[in-house]
Amino acid sequence: MTTPATDEPRDERVPVTVLTGFLGSGKTTLLNRILTEQHGLRIAVIENEFGEVGVDDALVLDAEEEIFEMNNGCICCTVRGDLIRILGALMRRRETFDHILIETTGLADPAPVAQTFFMDDEIAAQLRLDAIVTLVDAAHILQHLDEVKPEGVENEAVEQIAFADRIVLNKTDLADEATLAEVTGRIRAINSGVQIIHAQHAHIYLPQVLDVGAFDLERVLADDPSFLTETEHQHDTTVTSVGIDLPGELDEDRLNRWLGTLLRTKGVDIFRSKGILALAGAPKRYVFQGVHMLLDGEFGRDWRDGEERRNRLVFIGRDLDREALERGFAGCLATAGAAA
Amino acid sequence: MSITAPDTDLTIGWDIAVDDAPVALSARHGLVAVAGADGTVWLLDAATGTRVDTFELPGGALRTALSPDARHAAATGPTGYALWRREDGRTTVHETGAWSSTAAWADNERVAIASGRRAHVLGPDGERLWATEPAASTVTDLAWLRQGRRLAVAAYGAVRCHERHTLKPVMTYPYIGSHLALAVAPTGRWICSGNQDASIHIWRTRDAGELTMSGYPEKVSRLAFDDTGCWLAADGAPDVTVWDFSGKGPAGTAPRSLRCHETVTALTWRPGNSGHLASGGQDGTVALWRATSGRPESRLSPVRTLDGDAAVAALAWAGPHLLIAAHRDGRVRAHRLPSRTAL
Repeated sequence: MTTPATDEPRDERVPVTVLTGFLGSGKTTLLNRILTEQHGLRIAVIENEFGEVGVDDALVLDAEEEIFEMNNGCICCTVRGDLIRILGALMRRRETFDHILIETTGLADPAPVAQTFFMDDEIAAQLRLDAIVTLVDAAHILQHLDEVKPEGVENEAVEQIAFADRIVLNKTDLADEATLAEVTGRIRAINSGVQIIHAQHAHIYLPQVLDVGAFDLERVLADDPSFLTETEHQHDTTVTSVGIDLPGELDEDRLNRWLGTLLRTKGVDIFRSKGILALAGAPKRYVFQGVHMLLDGEFGRDWRDGEERRNRLVFIGRDLDREALERGFAGCLATAGAAA
Repeated sequence: MSITAPDTDLTIGWDIAVDDAPVALSARHGLVAVAGADGTVWLLDAATGTRVDTFELPGGALRTALSPDARHAAATGPTGYALWRREDGRTTVHETGAWSSTAAWADNERVAIASGRRAHVLGPDGERLWATEPAASTVTDLAWLRQGRRLAVAAYGAVRCHERHTLKPVMTYPYIGSHLALAVAPTGRWICSGNQDASIHIWRTRDAGELTMSGYPEKVSRLAFDDTGCWLAADGAPDVTVWDFSGKGPAGTAPRSLRCHETVTALTWRPGNSGHLASGGQDGTVALWRATSGRPESRLSPVRTLDGDAAVAALAWAGPHLLIAAHRDGRVRAHRLPSRTAL
């Protein structure tokens, strides 16, 4: 007998939204809007050292980016020391906040910010990363995306789009239709499933970016039917999305071996990964997501009667080899031949 | 073994409420300082809990430290620091905009204050004596060595030791990683840092010989040597671990484990050579331990536990017979252990 899916206990942790985007993309405008609109939420803002949020009575704290590596030398274990410190102090205050917003500098790498929520137990126990929201200036983003960087230096605009759960395409009034179409195409080429919200003067419906649960495992992909959308024409970009949709059930050992090896060897290049998987013998869907090598997974709801067991996952990263990923993943099927 | 023996001799000396969430305590020379997250510091008489004075640090508080003679107090916070003088209640506020993680008194005349990436050494009324050059990141902890002549400064990537005559460190103890807490043995033999990467890194001061205790389930953010410098207590796990630093040090040894709390939020050694430790937990429990009993590797149970309604924010001993516990809900309690109390 199968037990009906029950509601998971409510996550009481305070949601944290990370706001990224280039200088001039409208982050401050959006922050001020969030702080002044009547939404009934008590929001604390951690702004970057150049931030200029100007709202009286709002709790605004300054952060200067301090990126810390660990002694193991793994790039994926870098965290933002300043955020650990500030968030820790924030959570010791008597009044609690309904929401925390972190504004990063225009040139910030979102990875250490996201990894902070995976790597620090004290933070993970009290706060949850809700979504990475990237503001994009419709009129200028192409120029940023096309900027040639020196060898070994990441194009921050590409990274910020690759990491995003939501993209606010701002200043659409300053770009013509053809430009908007091209910008959309370029964004989709990097991050095929991301939800794009068009805006002028950062005017958006706030529930589209606040408390959206993009890092909520049970909601991963669920509200995102487009995540496998193939882009029609690949631009000349090294950062892309690879979506895989495969019916059948997976052999857990093979999957662990494959995914473990993949993230160990290619984790530096894989920015984000998400998936809903059917493990052989498991009545529930297995849901996971990761940032670089860090992975968080758990069993979600039951597979419904008559629901086809299938696996959907997506990788966003640099120099992804679609064919190798598809082949490797297919090798994890329980029905696949003996693993090589 | 039962955890709590019925207790007639362990009493609550006083019990008050402050109007904020306490984050730090300091107890010296008959005075207790309680710092609240929003920046008020209450100065209380240790014997009675009576309020002596209060002062404010705008921007909130992280730590407070009384001078050994309790004639001065420092408070540090996310946007600056403040100094208070008992004589006339005068408070000097330094709103630097820089994160000030902690303060440490060398003696009655000098206090080191972490300010952003530097440490400043000030006189008791705030006059600047000297400062260090900037560290690689925001300074996380400070400790004095050599009778207050040498200052150890923890920040990302290293513990650096400074003296008055130069901006540059006179000694650098490097280790890649985020050093969250610093403990220096009163004997001066050892410098230890608790780390974000869930380890304790140890240097022998004399020759910078190194040792890493890794494998903690969580980051190590609280470290404390007892008065003898023979025992180091650390968090980083549901257990408090206690390492034996006597003789050649802890290399190749196993710690004692003190299991009581789900999450350790405070730990402090009882003054004197007693081997007694107090720890506090997220669940509000205060536990008292004979922390050096048993054999290495043994798991100890608390000798006493004291319940509280809210998480323990800080613990401090006001002498060997009075343990002050500050709880997140604003309760500050003094637990009295008469001298005949056998722990």
